[in-house]
Amino acid sequence: MHGARWSRILVASALLGAANDARADQDDGSAGRVTPAIAAGVWTLAQLLPSPLLVTGSHHVGGGVRWQITPFVYSFGVAARPVRMFIVDPIARHSGALELYGSPEWACCAPDGGTGWIARAGGRLYVPLAGHGESLAASLGGSYYRASGGDGAALEVGAYLFFSIVGITVTVSPKLERREVISALTLRYF
Amino acid sequence: MTRSPFAFPVVAFSLVVAVSGCGFFGRVLQRNLAVPREPRKVQNKIHDPRRPGARLAVLWIGHATALVQMDDAFVLTDPVFTRTVGAFSPRLVEPGLDPADLPPLRAVVISHTHFDHLSYDSLDMIEQKTPIVLLPPGARSSLPRYAFESRELDRWESYEAGGLRVTAIPVQHVGGRWGIDQAWHTRAFTGYVFEYHGLSVYFGGDTAFDKDKFAAARDHFPKLDVALLPICPTEPRDFMRRTHMDTIEALDAFALLGASRMIPIHFDTFINSDDRPGDCPRLLRDHMRERNLDDTRVVILEVGEERVLMAR
Repeated sequence: MHGARWSRILVASALLGAANDARADQDDGSAGRVTPAIAAGVWTLAQLLPSPLLVTGSHHVGGGVRWQITPFVYSFGVAARPVRMFIVDPIARHSGALELYGSPEWACCAPDGGTGWIARAGGRLYVPLAGHGESLAASLGGSYYRASGGDGAALEVGAYLFFSIVGITVTVSPKLERREVISALTLRYF
Repeated sequence: MTRSPFAFPVVAFSLVVAVSGCGFFGRVLQRNLAVPREPRKVQNKIHDPRRPGARLAVLWIGHATALVQMDDAFVLTDPVFTRTVGAFSPRLVEPGLDPADLPPLRAVVISHTHFDHLSYDSLDMIEQKTPIVLLPPGARSSLPRYAFESRELDRWESYEAGGLRVTAIPVQHVGGRWGIDQAWHTRAFTGYVFEYHGLSVYFGGDTAFDKDKFAAARDHFPKLDVALLPICPTEPRDFMRRTHMDTIEALDAFALLGASRMIPIHFDTFINSDDRPGDCPRLLRDHMRERNLDDTRVVILEVGEERVLMAR
């Protein structure tokens, strides 16, 4: 519970920080239509947008959804501000970065059961492959999960298009019964 | 110059938006999808833009990309050489100069981080041509790493090297690159003035009309030899007014700046509005006639055309 509270505090701080920067500069000619409040709302909605999952195991196919929160990114591909927290510009990821993330997942819809929540925390390395990653980027990651069937480690590979907003990731958890392989259509904006 | 093979999701999304007819954005997407696969060729393309007999010359490469020669110093503005911008908006006409044909540059300036002004792939093409890229405040956080130095200039701040001085000047536009980041990149847009050997050139980048800002630029730089000013996009006017000048406002800005000449930029290269190709220069010519401005004062270049404005 403490972790969730700190996450909320950090997100609120990041958004307030961005809002304060914007207010300080508002008389400087910006004709922007996106206010800090709108940006915070869109960012929050974007985090709530789930990525659909295809959950597969031995003799088992199901569905599910996954969310992600990104408390820390260190980007080695950008010219400035390598550290981003929660609010992550696409370039900070796809130009090459190391990120730490947390993911709640819900697996469902299989005829033989396997429904339930999975909590996952992990790290991911992004590598740009074309157009500084705007056109194509890849990732390699590892995570630790907790689920009703137990806990364990997982490996993951991913590929991303369209400024890393759309991607495919495949997570392999050999010991997670009926959910050994989870493929996700990753949808992510900031 | 080939279409990205990774553009499928973008095209699919564009089709959905376009077919659904989502107002202005749907119309722009529909028109972009109808653009011919190959851009129009530039006739008699220049391969050596250096003009030894010129003190001041400008080559319009397209959109906001221009090569400015001031004696032996070359400055490039908002370099975009790619086949598309933002993955879905194709060029109507090829770049007026191949990046390989660029002379060694003293500096490259970026006015803001929108896709049609900050092109990562285009910077790759000119990475070895320039020692430095200048950007507005906050923009370096949207810039990948390159071999050249990158530096942000705040309003009225200058960069000086080898007799060239580049000063950032205030304009009226909007920052950000991916949408919601305009909420915190509230200063990431600028214009510039280049000074070298007594010559001075104004580059407006992308700006709406703001009388005070143009007057302030004139106060700081009372003898501008030429002003590169955007004249498009203009329609729908209610939507564009806050961020873009129309042709009348561009001529008003030219008058306020007191520059000797004006070169219009930012038109007929990409589709980003309801304007039809040719609309903006036609309207500009109409308003020039009303104001008795001839083509020695307002020099409308074709993409790929170079004009010597002052000879040695």
